[in-house]
Amino acid sequence: MSRDTQDRFAAALLDRESPVPQGLESWTGTAPPRRFAVYRNNVMQGLIGALASRFPATEKIVGRDFFTAMADAYIGKHPPRSPVLLTYGEDFPDFVAGFEPAAGLVYLPDVMRLEAARSRAYHAADAEPLTAATFAAIPTPRLSDLILTPHPSLAILRSAYPAVLIWAMNSGKAEPAPLTAWPAEDALVVRPHMLVEVHRLPPGGAVFLQALADGLTLGCAVEAALGDAPAFDLSQNLAGLIRSGGFISLRLEEPANAC
Amino acid sequence: MNKSLASLALAGSLATALTTLAAPAASAADAKEKCYGIALKGQNDCAAGPGTTCAGTSKIDYQKNAWKLVPTGTCETMKVPGGMGSLMQGPAPV
Amino acid sequence: MQASNLPRRAGVGFKPEHFEAILADTSPPGFLEIHAENYMGAGGPPHARLARLRQDHALSIHGVGLSIGAMQPLDSDHLARLKALCDRYEPESFSEHLAWSSHDTIFLNDLLPLPYTLATLIRVAEHIDQVQEALGRQMLLENPATYLTFAESTLQETEFLAEIARRTGCGLLLDINNVFVASTNHNVDPLDYLARFPLSKVREIHLGGHAETVDDAGAPLLIDSHDTPVKDPVWALYETVLGRTGPIATLIEWDNDVPDWPVLRAEAEAAGRLLAAAHRLVA
Repeated sequence: MSRDTQDRFAAALLDRESPVPQGLESWTGTAPPRRFAVYRNNVMQGLIGALASRFPATEKIVGRDFFTAMADAYIGKHPPRSPVLLTYGEDFPDFVAGFEPAAGLVYLPDVMRLEAARSRAYHAADAEPLTAATFAAIPTPRLSDLILTPHPSLAILRSAYPAVLIWAMNSGKAEPAPLTAWPAEDALVVRPHMLVEVHRLPPGGAVFLQALADGLTLGCAVEAALGDAPAFDLSQNLAGLIRSGGFISLRLEEPANAC
Repeated sequence: MNKSLASLALAGSLATALTTLAAPAASAADAKEKCYGIALKGQNDCAAGPGTTCAGTSKIDYQKNAWKLVPTGTCETMKVPGGMGSLMQGPAPV
Repeated sequence: MQASNLPRRAGVGFKPEHFEAILADTSPPGFLEIHAENYMGAGGPPHARLARLRQDHALSIHGVGLSIGAMQPLDSDHLARLKALCDRYEPESFSEHLAWSSHDTIFLNDLLPLPYTLATLIRVAEHIDQVQEALGRQMLLENPATYLTFAESTLQETEFLAEIARRTGCGLLLDINNVFVASTNHNVDPLDYLARFPLSKVREIHLGGHAETVDDAGAPLLIDSHDTPVKDPVWALYETVLGRTGPIATLIEWDNDVPDWPVLRAEAEAAGRLLAAAHRLVA
């Protein structure tokens, strides 16, 4: 076969309007559209199914038909580039942010980013989280020089909308109900062991954890968090950080470095 | 902030944090309001993430145009205050 | 080169929802098969489950994304991922399809057909040599379920597979459901197809369900959907094959609308009974 045969076949697969490529036959006739449609259908249904399994809350929020149409539009513009479909759909949330039929659901891209982070965490490398005992053993005068290594599964998301609550309402954690408040919500996504966990973060928490995940010292992370939210509660955030299992190792930076 | 002062403040907060951790975890009822309360764990983690298959599908093709569709899932239940993010702002009101 | 070496028993395609049931089963299937691409994340529950199952079960790694039939070079990154997976789990067998699924840089997520010509034969043989060299093991090549044919084909599928196996030393994975589906779709007698098939090269058999529809001309069009029990004509062909080959490792594939464990297990038991009869015949 020439390379052309596959060029034509591939192009026709992704374009539903195109005719059956030349050179294809069946014993019942020369141009078998329904037979070619089986392949076209397998490709699209398979990819739509892959996206639906990565974004189940999104499908609940918009309903199956709308999700299918939205996924179809996305696949046409952003077909997968790897046979490893575990990672397919990374930029689906960004696509939806610009997808006009979904423009009314301003929170939807953030809920999708949360779902994408959950599936990344699910497949991330395994690592043993630090325990409270390890933190308790750090010499007090050196605490501000502490540098932590984030868990490979850790992600921090910031939303101008109640993305965590909306996700929770569409993944069996709470009943979908009218939203009585409209707060911004930040989330920590992490898989300390085998379950992916989503934590809603308190004021300053996202900046605090992101600074630590970026390799800043604890002292600098506290400064950044206070700069972001004067109400930042350090002991609450430290307790949350330790309990979440979001960090896996620690070291002490040489003193005297400015933030 | 002075470094040793910072470490001193940190030490106090860490001590409080470690005491908090020794206490029983927050109840599930707090999940809706509390931050860092109880983790919202994934449900049906078996299915998390797309999978590949070597099978075809017998589901027939559809010919739906997204531009003529409106979302019809739980977004209709989750009405939001002040119309923000509500369907009324969408291009095709229900 | 490590030869494919699955136990001559009935196995099942592993689905995560069956993990606990398989662990609790006092008489579990003879081997498990996984799709390689679903285990190419770094860690997490998929690897934890597979590592646990691997302690007690023979394993077949079945690739669905290498695109061996593509008229472009194999994806070396993907081949490296397959090697890492095979090195990690040391499966009794590795198999892939006579099909293509990637074009340029796009992954098309289906097992697409190729014309059977000398040019495609040379290309597929090169790719299989490359895979076997990279993995350090014999691979099995599976016959596809096809829905149409190519005007440019000059070889029969069975001739093509026989020559590929002869040139490369690869084994064959005979999917009997695919034989029935493709033979029906192309108005061929599946027994004729099997009579031409190089059965001596078969190291694994696949059985699965299919869906029935019709084409534009009203002729039957079967789809390899893996969403039902194995159908009677496929069981009959399976018995015929076993009568000629003796017992061969046999997998029940059920990938869509996956049933509860007892239903899948019963399918494997049905295959197991026919295998036991074939064992007795050999003895």
